[in-house]
Amino acid sequence: MKRRAILAFMLDRPGVLNKVSMLIRKKMYNVDTLTVCSSRVEGISRMTITLQEDDERKVDQVIRQLERFTEVISVKELDTDHSYWREVAIVKLEVDAAHLETFHGRYNFEILDQKSEDLHILQVAGSTRQIDTFLDEVGREFIIEIARTGVTALEK
Amino acid sequence: MTGKKLMMRALKEKGVKYIFGYTGGAIMPIFDEMDKVGDFHFVMSRHEQGAAFMAQGISRASLSTDNPQIGVCLSTSGPGAMNLATGIADAHMDSVPIVAITGQVTTGVIATDAFQESDVIGVMMPICKQTYMLLAAEEVEVTVHEAFYVATTGRGGPIVIDIPKDVQNQAVNPKYSFDAASYKPFLPGYFYNPTPERKAVDKAVKLINKSERPLIFCGHGVISSNAGELLREFAEKINVPITFTLHGLSALPTDHPLSLGMMGMHGTVEANKAIMEADLLISFGMRFDDRVTGKLEEYAANADVIHVEIDHSEIDKNVKATVPILGDVYRTLHVLLGNPMLIKKPRKKWFEKIIKFRKKMENDLKNEIKKGVGDDGKLLMKSIISKLSKLTKGKDLIVPDVGLHQMMAARFYNFQTMNSWFASGGAGTMGASLPMSVGVKLARPAERVWSICGDGGFQMNIQELGTIMEQQVDIKILLFNNGYLGMVRQWQTLFFDGRYAGTPMQSPDFGQISQAYGIPYRKIEKLEEVTPALQQAIDHQGAIILEFICDPSEVILPMIPAEGGFGDMIVKRPVKKKTTIKDSKGEQ
Repeated sequence: MKRRAILAFMLDRPGVLNKVSMLIRKKMYNVDTLTVCSSRVEGISRMTITLQEDDERKVDQVIRQLERFTEVISVKELDTDHSYWREVAIVKLEVDAAHLETFHGRYNFEILDQKSEDLHILQVAGSTRQIDTFLDEVGREFIIEIARTGVTALEK
Repeated sequence: MTGKKLMMRALKEKGVKYIFGYTGGAIMPIFDEMDKVGDFHFVMSRHEQGAAFMAQGISRASLSTDNPQIGVCLSTSGPGAMNLATGIADAHMDSVPIVAITGQVTTGVIATDAFQESDVIGVMMPICKQTYMLLAAEEVEVTVHEAFYVATTGRGGPIVIDIPKDVQNQAVNPKYSFDAASYKPFLPGYFYNPTPERKAVDKAVKLINKSERPLIFCGHGVISSNAGELLREFAEKINVPITFTLHGLSALPTDHPLSLGMMGMHGTVEANKAIMEADLLISFGMRFDDRVTGKLEEYAANADVIHVEIDHSEIDKNVKATVPILGDVYRTLHVLLGNPMLIKKPRKKWFEKIIKFRKKMENDLKNEIKKGVGDDGKLLMKSIISKLSKLTKGKDLIVPDVGLHQMMAARFYNFQTMNSWFASGGAGTMGASLPMSVGVKLARPAERVWSICGDGGFQMNIQELGTIMEQQVDIKILLFNNGYLGMVRQWQTLFFDGRYAGTPMQSPDFGQISQAYGIPYRKIEKLEEVTPALQQAIDHQGAIILEFICDPSEVILPMIPAEGGFGDMIVKRPVKKKTTIKDSKGEQ
């Protein structure tokens, strides 16, 4: 299934998030990620939703039905060629510093805290795939806890 | 000034005359204020669902008049608001603008499971166009004004305003001011452009000129934008036959020479066959719902589609448009008619074909109507409707309920008055007719209103006879009693081997019920009594109930089975009880 990112701008009013998520449920999708933040204009929020759908027409339907909400200002689909999709993960890992050192330069991560010699909390930013490969390479078995923000995206 | 006073002021400002509703703890301050100001005619329904349908009646019937009004209904919190839900969902499906104001428990106890508390916004959000919860008295006027704006702009829809009891009583800040005259809603993403794009219209004209077998679809949007006359002019100008959706009926006379009647599951043979053979569909203000299209893969396979629609999200939803035109139907027709390139073609072959299609069932139907009774000698609904149509010259306002009799009325009433058909279509809510007809009559008091019900739907909101009695609303009630839920029975006959599960129904003595409400009543069992009884209803001033004892085995044909294609159309009544239709799952 193709992963889609939908970017929407909307009035920052109570219940809008509820409406958007209800529509996505009604259309029978399970949201992959959903991030909301304020935009550069006060009172207007910015929402990035990712979900899985191959059918172009169905995605169009979601977009048009989102546009129908009175609070929604604009909606569009972002594709990976013409936009940046990024997320951040905070990971608590049981690995030693030397092992982590081998990933420097290849991945964009920062050590936030070192609890003990082999217990680190670090932050890694990048595309979903970059974060996934980083975690694979470091070794998922070493992860104690992980928090990911979900995707936010911006057009080039 | 308090929240409740501002509420009354805003409603008055918006031209509200009637308020329908039912009081209760959390809405008492507003009711009290309404009583004090005396600006409104309050109609007490006997159940909140009734109030929502009455409000719909006002909105639906008045939109084609010089004084369009928005129906308003009021209820208390919890069960009161929940009882409104069906009527609101129904308005949402049929794009009817209404405003529902619900009382809510005081802000201090919200979300504590207080007495008669329910999450009204949570429940209503997916079944209406917009919801508002008022948390300060200062929000009341601006919200009511925005609500009316949103309800009526673009594609209409219901709005819910939930107002906690303390906010109703709350005094506004002394510096508060609101100027209704200069008010403009702040909704930067909510706009619609009623005027179609010229390029799209030009493309459409090219397609129309090229087409040999075009067909015009008249949908609800034609009624909502009051464009019946323009559509007639357009159809005559290009010489193209017209077929109607359930909600498009009455936009122009059913017996217009270009009319093929209703399309879809129970549409006419000629309309549905023409759709199968058409090379172009010119559709105005409709959404190609499943009862119209049947199996989408087989639908109008050879046709290009011009789709004129005000709601962008309806375009390409079910049927892909060759030329989508985003705009108001009235404005689009106006632009189309002004296009000098538009030509009239004789399309002789096309009309000959359609006449051939029409002949397929014409005689069967004529004979059945003439006979007037089924095999067991009981009355046929289609004959009663035909007689009503003749007697009223097709000019009266018809409010059907939902089911078999509704389809009979849709098919056999010869509509002559623009916007004279008020049906629960999308939601198909049984029980809609009785309360909706109250709103329709109040909106258009000079016209005669017929509420046509089955024995099932009539009993779903039978309590509204109390409102009819109290308000002395002159509604002619035709009760088609066949002892069954007729439409479901038809499906059972066709697709469930004639097992009538949950459809036979024992009814009370409707004569005694009528008597209890002080409404005159007559039972009709013989064909020769039908016309005199209808005449009696016409001559009688005030509400009257005519109960017709109908044939339970009557069916509405043709029928395209659910999830079937137009090729699966059933035109003949099955001889045996057992009939299997391929691919039909028999799901309603």
